[in-house]
Amino acid sequence: MLKVDNIHASYGAVRALHGISVEVEEGQVVALLGVNGAGKSTTLKCITGVLRPTSGTVTFLGEDITGRTPESLVKRGISLVPEGREIFGSLTVEENLRLGAFTSYQRDRYKADLKEMFELFPILEERLHQAGGLLSGGEQQMLAIARALMAHPRLLMLDEPSLGLAPAMTDQVFELISQLRGRGLTILLVEQNAERALQVVDRAYLLTNGLVEASGTTEEIKRQVDITSSYLGGEDTKGCEVGR
Amino acid sequence: MINLEFVINTLSLGSLYALLSVGLVLVYGILKLVNFAYGEYIMVSGYAIYLSGAVLHMPWYVTMVIAVLAAVLVSFLTEYAAIRPVRTKSADAMLVTSFAVSVFLQNVVLLTISPRSRAVPLPSFFSKTVTIAGATTPLRNLLVIGTTFVVLIGLSLLMKKTVLGMAMRAAADKFTTTRLMGVPANFVISAAFIISGFLAGVGGIFWVGRSASVDPLTGAAPLLIAFIATVMGGMNSPIGAVVGGFVYGLLFNVLSITLPASMISYRDAFMFAIVILFLLFRPEGIVRRGYTEERVG
Amino acid sequence: MSVIMRAGQWAREHSTIMLMMIPVIVAGFVIQAFGSSLVVNIYTYFCVSLMMVLGVQVFMGNSGILSWTHVGFVGIGAYVAGILSTSPMVKGMGVPNMYPFLVQLQIPVLPAIAMGGIVAALVAAIIGYPLMRLSDAVGVITLFATLIVFHVIMTQWDNVTNGPRTFFGVPEYTTLTVALLGALLAIAAAYWFRESAIGLKLRASRDDRHAAAATGINVVRARYNAFVISALMAGVAGGVWAHFITSFSPTSFYMSEMFVLLSMLVIGGSGSISGAVVGTTVVTIARELLRQLESTINNAHVLSFQVFGLTELVMAVLMVVVLIWRPGGVVGGQELTWPLFKRTTKEVDNAA
Repeated sequence: MLKVDNIHASYGAVRALHGISVEVEEGQVVALLGVNGAGKSTTLKCITGVLRPTSGTVTFLGEDITGRTPESLVKRGISLVPEGREIFGSLTVEENLRLGAFTSYQRDRYKADLKEMFELFPILEERLHQAGGLLSGGEQQMLAIARALMAHPRLLMLDEPSLGLAPAMTDQVFELISQLRGRGLTILLVEQNAERALQVVDRAYLLTNGLVEASGTTEEIKRQVDITSSYLGGEDTKGCEVGR
Repeated sequence: MINLEFVINTLSLGSLYALLSVGLVLVYGILKLVNFAYGEYIMVSGYAIYLSGAVLHMPWYVTMVIAVLAAVLVSFLTEYAAIRPVRTKSADAMLVTSFAVSVFLQNVVLLTISPRSRAVPLPSFFSKTVTIAGATTPLRNLLVIGTTFVVLIGLSLLMKKTVLGMAMRAAADKFTTTRLMGVPANFVISAAFIISGFLAGVGGIFWVGRSASVDPLTGAAPLLIAFIATVMGGMNSPIGAVVGGFVYGLLFNVLSITLPASMISYRDAFMFAIVILFLLFRPEGIVRRGYTEERVG
Repeated sequence: MSVIMRAGQWAREHSTIMLMMIPVIVAGFVIQAFGSSLVVNIYTYFCVSLMMVLGVQVFMGNSGILSWTHVGFVGIGAYVAGILSTSPMVKGMGVPNMYPFLVQLQIPVLPAIAMGGIVAALVAAIIGYPLMRLSDAVGVITLFATLIVFHVIMTQWDNVTNGPRTFFGVPEYTTLTVALLGALLAIAAAYWFRESAIGLKLRASRDDRHAAAATGINVVRARYNAFVISALMAGVAGGVWAHFITSFSPTSFYMSEMFVLLSMLVIGGSGSISGAVVGTTVVTIARELLRQLESTINNAHVLSFQVFGLTELVMAVLMVVVLIWRPGGVVGGQELTWPLFKRTTKEVDNAA
């Protein structure tokens, strides 16, 4: 469904990706793993068009989408849950959801969609008319995912969904991902928390310094990277990033 | 000296300033651009009344419409031709470009019309005096209060109840994420410029209404007022701009009464000094918005 | 190592400054020797403009903050230097309301110019610290407002400046040589600042304010130092200019002049001294050509109306074109060095 073919990317003069290739089949759940700065988010940015790769292609459903604008991606069926949630803090929960449905809005379907979201995330119905900025981290994550789902995506991408969340919320998030997987949604997941991620995905790629170090099913990955288990393992002990 | 006349005066001045400031903030909120060409939209609006009224002899209601349309058009073109190509390259470039557009517009007028000021034909009821409870004031002062009220209500309805308004608010909050929702960036930005031009056009009518004349440099003063009022009120919200406009109007009138005659020509200097002092203690302005303005040190 | 070799090595290391200074000096000699008085005039004006632009560049290029205030500092320098060096007789006649002690005061030209710079720097020192704490839009607008304040004071304080009327009678001290020396000094000063510890700290903070602060750089202090030094340079430039033009009024230090300086800096590239020099050259030549065009059209009565503002209009368009084409200016952010084309390529964000 999604094919990233040997992309290179840079931030100004700093080379970030040195040839990343990733494939996601329809109905699969795939993870991009790796430590901070390995290039996971950069890869996502190249897919969504926020960053233009210097070489290589990105193909979705057979169509070349390399370097297309972010706006056009949603129409094609790719939805992103950004790192850090990026909830519109000054808009209400409902407005956030309404914006998620911007490209695929149909009056009758909208009401039904909202109902579905409330079933998945009951907390959203409670806080429907509150400003997004007032929600807790975990609630915002729920909202971000719901917002992305409102667009009826064929491919859902999540960038570090567990970042900054308490363990209980993290559980909920991964539980949700399993649920969505059960519904047949194709998911690309970027995660630092490799252990948890591997529990819910079919395949994974391990990125290091802008290159794919290992790839395969969860068993294959676990076997390949057994020695370097410092990469895997739940706790995020990295310091904060400067200049992000 | 604080009587009803003073109050009406201040309200009308504040309304005008508020109207002008909101136009500036709309573009700033989304693009984080301080649009130096904004003052020229007001100037253009004034010249449009002159050209359609004094040269083409159209009735006043037509000239007003043309004035607003002219301002909208020029604002839209600024974005389309000058800002959009530079937007992706750098934020500084946008700022300097807007200044270049301002210079361009001033000199186009200078070149094609005249460096000298031109009398602007206004409807006679603008200067008709009205007496309310003992206070006399020209009708246009009351008109500007009413117009501002209506326009601002309309604007807030647009922002709160329509999808476009929602998209614009989202874009002002987080621009890239808004694009990721599938909202076309160019569309939202153009909309902001159009509305900004509209506000400048309407404000421009009342601005030239006070002096009944227009010249290439007419845009400089309202631009500065919009700048200061916006910064004082809080650059991050239209409400802040409105508040800033009224506070600026109040400050202006108070200084006008209290400054001794010898110092009155320094009034502007005093105003800015006060505002700068205020900003040092509260850089985010009067109306805070969730997070505080970044202060460096 | 022989002296020649060592000099050669120094020249290569500091090739930027050589690349800037040598053409300026050579052109100066050639023009002085062979040029018509018009060309000599233009070149002198070029050198003085370069002094002003470099003053702005020291602040703007290194801090990344757009400053409108500097033309005000030029004005302060011009007025102080002019008042100090003009003879009491001329001042008494020309500025009827001037404070008597100012009328009587007269010092030689060079110290007067120095005083111009010093007073400008003092003003910057007093108002600068609070200003440097403001950032982004608030900072830009406040600096803009500060220029307005300068202008208001210059226009109103007729005990000192003769108000909005022309201040005339300044001794014509600035020849091509004087201006050339001033320009060379300015290039050296700008270069020294850029390579100094303050300059480096400032540029670090321009590129990433938080990272810089995290490494212990006091961003406000760095900006402040740049502000004061650039005001000093601008003030001196103003003094030199005053003795070139010999008469001026507050309008010489306001929006249109600021735009000219800005265009010189932006078209060339505000990030580098090379940019400032290239930009000043391009704009000076362009403006002269346009001015000639304007007066030719006007004198020939080709059109039924007088052509005013053509120069500014074309310059504005030129500026937008350059910004669209190369937002970093013709030269871009890096200094020109020898060899000329060793530069890194940059990738562009796809924010279409």
